Formats: sequence, C-alpha cells, structure tokens
Amino acid sequence: MVIAVGGDPDGLFPPVLTTTTGRAVTEQIYDHLADLGSDLNTVGDAGFSPRLAKSWRWSADSLSIAFTLDPSARWHDGTPVRASDVAFTYGLYRDSATASPTAPLIENIDSVTAPDSLTAVFWFAKRSPIEFYEATVPMLILPEHLLKGVKGQALRTSDIARKPMGSGRFRFVSWTPGSSIELTADSGNYHSRPRIDRLIWTIAPDPKTVFTRLVGGEADVLEQVPSGDLPQLAAHPELKPVLLPGLDYNFVTFNLRDPGNPTRPHPLFADRSLRQALTMAVDRRRVVQSAYDSLAAVALGPTVRAYPTTDTTLQQIPYSLDNARRVLDSLGWRVSGSDSVRRRNGRPLEFTLSVPGVSKSRMNMAVIIQDQLRQAGVKMNIDRREIASFVDLENKRTFDAVFHGWHVEASPGGIRQTWGTGGAKAGGSNHGSYVNAAFDAAADSGLSAMDLPTRRAHFKRAYQMIIDDAPAIWMAEPKTMMAINRRIRTPALRPDAWWSTIGEWWIPSTERIARDRAGPPR
Amino acid sequence: MAGYLLRRLAQVAVVVALVATIAFVLIHLAEGDPFSDTLENPNVTEEIRAQLRATYGLDRPLPEQFARYVASVFRGDFGWSFSRQRPVIDVLRDALPNTLLLMSIALAVSFALGIALAIAQAGRPNSLTDRIISGISLFFFSVPEFWLATMVIALLPYRYPGIFPIGGIVDPTTHADLSRGGQLLDLAKHTILPAATLTLLFSAVVARYQRAALLDVLPADYVRTARAKGVSERSIVRRHALRNALLPVITLFGLAFPALLTGAVFIEKVFGWPGMGLVIVSSIDSRDYALLMAAIIIGSVLVAIGSLLADLLYRVADPRIRDDR
Repeated sequence: MVIAVGGDPDGLFPPVLTTTTGRAVTEQIYDHLADLGSDLNTVGDAGFSPRLAKSWRWSADSLSIAFTLDPSARWHDGTPVRASDVAFTYGLYRDSATASPTAPLIENIDSVTAPDSLTAVFWFAKRSPIEFYEATVPMLILPEHLLKGVKGQALRTSDIARKPMGSGRFRFVSWTPGSSIELTADSGNYHSRPRIDRLIWTIAPDPKTVFTRLVGGEADVLEQVPSGDLPQLAAHPELKPVLLPGLDYNFVTFNLRDPGNPTRPHPLFADRSLRQALTMAVDRRRVVQSAYDSLAAVALGPTVRAYPTTDTTLQQIPYSLDNARRVLDSLGWRVSGSDSVRRRNGRPLEFTLSVPGVSKSRMNMAVIIQDQLRQAGVKMNIDRREIASFVDLENKRTFDAVFHGWHVEASPGGIRQTWGTGGAKAGGSNHGSYVNAAFDAAADSGLSAMDLPTRRAHFKRAYQMIIDDAPAIWMAEPKTMMAINRRIRTPALRPDAWWSTIGEWWIPSTERIARDRAGPPR
Repeated sequence: MAGYLLRRLAQVAVVVALVATIAFVLIHLAEGDPFSDTLENPNVTEEIRAQLRATYGLDRPLPEQFARYVASVFRGDFGWSFSRQRPVIDVLRDALPNTLLLMSIALAVSFALGIALAIAQAGRPNSLTDRIISGISLFFFSVPEFWLATMVIALLPYRYPGIFPIGGIVDPTTHADLSRGGQLLDLAKHTILPAATLTLLFSAVVARYQRAALLDVLPADYVRTARAKGVSERSIVRRHALRNALLPVITLFGLAFPALLTGAVFIEKVFGWPGMGLVIVSSIDSRDYALLMAAIIIGSVLVAIGSLLADLLYRVADPRIRDDR
C-alpha cells in the first residue's frame, strides 16, 4: 500500500517527533502498551485495547497501574520485550537531555518500576481520570538493549533514530530522504501478521504532485485532500473519500498586554466589550466556508468537536454588523474622518493581524476578515510572516493580533498551557496572555472530574466563560478529508490517528493489482 | 598560465570566506531559530526550545558560534541538520548526486540543442524556420518554470501513467527488486520529464543568445572573405563564425554552472526530485543554520569556479584575451 505525503518526517525516533508522518511511521514499528479507542475516551481504561500489555490491574487507591506484558512480544531482532524496557522508555522520555515534547504529557507519572520481567508498574503523583491514557498513549516502548547509555544529542544521531527497530507489526526497511520510506510486515509478530505486506510512504513536496499521484494510481492513500481538489476527487470513483473530525482549531488571538510594555494592558484589546464587538463584526460562517468549502466547521471555542467533553450547544457571540457598530459607538469609537475608520480621542481603531504565510487558508480568511471589519469601521492591517519570524513574534509577544492554530492531543489537558494563567507567563503557549482565575478553576475541575457528564459540565462552563470573554475570534475547526483507494478495506479510523489500525487493513485477493504483489519473495 | 590560475584560486578562497562570514551573521540575525517550526504543537514549550538551543550551542555568543563552526568545517564536519535530524554531510551526500544527475543532463543537452538551433536559425535569418524556432524559443524563454512543470505533469504522466511516472526519482514499490538494468531504466524513466522540462527552458535561452551572437559575427570582414573564397555557408557558420560567437554562451555557461549542484527549486518541487534545490529552500524555511551554511558555501564555491571556468574558456575561444602572454 502506498501512502502519498508532502514531506519527510522529522526523524524516526519517537520521543522527539513532532510531524504527523513521523508518528504514522513509528507507530507501525513500535507499540504502545494499549491503544486508545476510536471514541477518544481518555477517562479510565474504557475503550482501550491491549497492545504490548496483555492485561492491567489498578491499585485500590488508583495511584498505580500494573501492566502485564505479552510474554510472546519480541523486538524485531528476536530479543524478548521486558518490563525493564518500559521503565527505561519512561526514563528516556522524562530525561531533560532528551528534550522530548511528549514530556509535559507524562508529568503526572512519578515513576515506573519493573518488579519482574513481565510486569511494569506506573506510579502516579496524584489521582487523575486520565492516568491510563498518560501511561499508554504518549509513549512508544523502546528497546533498552539498543539505547542504554545513549543520551541527549547522541540519541538523535544513534543508528536506531534513522533505522528504527521496535516490536510493532511492521519492520523498518528503508528511508530514502525526499523520496520514500518502506516498511514490511513482521510475519512472526506476537499480535499476528498484518494483512498488508508492505507499506510505502512516497514523498513529494508539491501538493499538486501528491494529489496527482493518488488520482494517477501511483498512490493508494492521501492523508489530506485539499478543498480545491474535491471536484477532481469526485471524478474518480475508484477513490473513497473519508471525512474525519479534525483535532485542529484556529483563531485570531488578541494580545491583551501592550506589545511595547507587557506590564501594561493593551490599549485596544484590554477592553472586553471591544473584543466582543470585533467578534460580532466577523461573519465566521462565511469566512470559514470561503476558505475551506465544506472541509471545516466554525470553531466552537478552544476545543474540538471530536472530544467527548465538548458540548456543541455553547452560546456563541452572534454575527451582527449592526450590533457591532452600536457597541463600538457606545464605546466612543466613531467614524469621524473621510477614511471611514472609527476614532476615539483622535486615535484610529486600527491594529495589525500577523499571519503565518505558509497557511493559505489563514491568509484567505485574514483577507475576508479585513474586509468585514472595514465595514464596521475597523482598520485591520495584514502582516504576512514566514514561519520562524511568526513564532519569534509570538514568543516575544510583540503583536497586536495573530492568526494562530493548535493541533490538540486526544485529551483536552493542553488547555492549561494554551489558555490558562500558567501559560500566560513568558515562554508559555498562552500568547495572548488571557488570564481568568474562574476559567482556570473550571478547566481544572473538568480535567480532574472522574466521570464524563461531570467533565462535560465543567468544561462547558470553562468554554462558555472564555467565549464570552472573547480573547480570540474562534475561526475554523478543519476536518481531515482523506482519500483511500476502494480496493483497500479498512475498519473504523481513529480521528486523531487514522493510521492506528493499518495492521488490520486488507486488499481482497481478487482486487489486487500488480503493485500489491510486488516486492521481495515472502 | 599557472600564475594566473593560482591568483584566481586565491580570489576564490577569499570570496568564499567573505560570503560564508556574511551569510553566517545574516542568517543568525534573522528572526526565529531552528526550533520555531513546531508552531502548532503546544507541547513544544519555550523551555524545551531553550533546552534544545543549549544542546546545540545556539545560546552561545555569535562570535563563539562562528569560531566553532569554522573549526568544525576545517575538520570536514559541516554540523548537524536540525530539520532533518542527521549530519549535514549525510543530507548533502543524498541530495547532491541527484541534482548533479538531473542538472548535468539538462545543461549538456540544453547547450547542445540551443547552439544547434541557433546555427539553424543564423544560417538562414528571417526564414520560416528561423521565425518558427524564434517563436517557440521565445515562448519557452517567457514561461515560468513551475507552470511548465505543472503542465508537463498534467499532460503526460496523468494521461500515460504506464509510460511517464508522476515525479520522484525511482519507483519506490519496485525499484529495489529490479535487476541492475531495470533499475537504470526506472531511473531514466523518472529523469526524462524533469530533464526535458529544464532542457526546454535552458535551450531557449541558449538559442536566443547564440543566434544574436552569430548574427553579430556573420557580417564581419573575415566571414565575407571566406565567402569570397568560396567556402560553403555551412562551413562558414560552423568553422569560422561559431567560435567567435561563443563568448556570450560561455558567459551563460559560467552563470549556469552553479546550478549543477544547487539545483532548480521549482522543477525539483513539482517533480518531487529530491535534490539540492529543495534542501536549500527547506533549510531557509526551517532556519536550519548548518545546512543552509553548507549550501551557501557550496553555492559560492561553484559561482566562483563557474566564473573562473568561463574566463578560461574565453581564453580558449578568443586568443586576444590571453593577457599573460
């Protein structure tokens, strides 16, 4: 099976990966202890299925979980997988020298012990409803015998970082940078041989070329079909479109602190009523439809619909140009000059929105927002930036407004970093410096609640608070439109990781084409 | 001649050192750093970025970083590519041969074809043949390369999938299992479209320059003398006029020479050709300092060598330029 992608992964060493392709490849080669279910439930262990762990046992106080490993699990070199590998993996992910972006997700794990060769016990610092998720999903278990003694930079340069060797259902074969990555079925795998013989990621940096490879029959799977190519996709009955709810949302963040002096409030955006008026002036439905066609929904707030904790009945600030004008009038911002821009005490109602130039959809949306705000008497300048410069601007917080987006994990825990008071400090991810203790408390209550209805209720309160405060205009929640050749049969795909079930994908023998039979003799 | 060569090589060394120094400073002065491209991942906190900067020595003063860089280059170590997570030398080892293969074919065919077309045109100026070739070469001279590449992909591989592959350098599904001859054929099939696209673009440029130069030379006294002696028109163009009309094309050769290793960005992107052009562009986007510096050094060395080669070829083509007689 050939999967067309737009770029190389940022390595094949799981603790330091940030790209989707890197995750998709390594999750075939390495194993989690257990797999998340397609409903993305992260509370307790409901919906999880065994993987490297054959079974698990909770302690009475729920502060530890003992995982029993499958005794038949082997690394691809034949060495048995042992509990010491699990403990080693935890230590490696947490080691500051590794600088793993996954480390914040496993902070609640205090330690991992291996009382015997098949039992790994996870000890937690405090009770949390997502302990099981923390122990199983963020980490892929690594072979201690190949990595012991290697630290920091040496980990990234080690052989295994480019030629991974795990216990998963596929073995690594080759990686030709800029061209392809090949995996082959591990025929003796403890979890049974996968039904696809070979997986090949074919790499082309141009989106048009990637799409042409799919419709031209050179590839079987495309992870993200651009909205502009949907009509052409419809003309190919051999391709099956698969729409998955996304785990991304984007938004226009207002800087609530003065960019010139962060100790002072922003001269415009510190005013909650002004932020609400700006939100009212933007017809988000039209903007999102223009940029994404049907491949995105209007964002509800700092969350995604795929979370079981998201209540879709949240009250939004409705679009109304008249109401926006009335609020701005009442705040003293009135049209006085010939340029139709509102002014107060001689100061024009003008700000700059910085947009990462690499995002075509955000650039398109910014232009429409600019026009809609102009109708309300607001002058918005667009500052298109290349990515490194954009990130620099955000980190220094020297912006008026930025068009940002987050890709979220399967658990909503990241909201503390992205919108909580803790993230508002220098170096945090709450770039607009939104601070609301009541929001923090509601989000914390949601994250620590042990049952879904209570979690939903707390999160609803938190989300409603932040929507009403309008520290950002919530714009789009893009969906993932995949295309898969119809000869390939798939079970249900997980929204956060469509590749998680590849081992179960199959092609009926009567529908196999020459390429499906290619490869070394088996 | 040896003295001249030594002087020019010394100039090359000075130019490369200057370019490398200025580039190093400018690259580091630009906003952002190699760890900025993790933008949408809230888990990559500023703390982790700071840790990575310290690991790679990017938190040191710029002069110290430069001194370390120069020392490592002299040891043959071009550093670590942050974006590709491997030594820069390995990245170059993968990309340079691909670019060299594509560009050497494209440039060799372009110069041969461009000169041949110009000879055909200049032999019968303003004839129907001349006008048709001029029109076609003007078209290819004018079109943007990304447009032409996109059209080529849309018209050929998409319609004739068995014959023309849609980009890439080999077929990843079958290449490893093919015989040596089969692998070469596979490589040739993948090379033909990007090389042909580049050839169409380059040969149009060469033909236009060469035609103009030939038309300048053909009215010259020595050509008239040759004609008076009864030399055939074909022989006049090929043996007498062409050598004297080569100087502008030699200049073009000198300018095109660095592309042998620095590649053609748009063609590589559209055809998915894993060469240096893409490496350079992605290293700029990702602030991959070490990789970008290596590309700049290679580029500046080739520009200087291209210029030196052009000067040497001038001396071969035109004996009047030999100043050290």
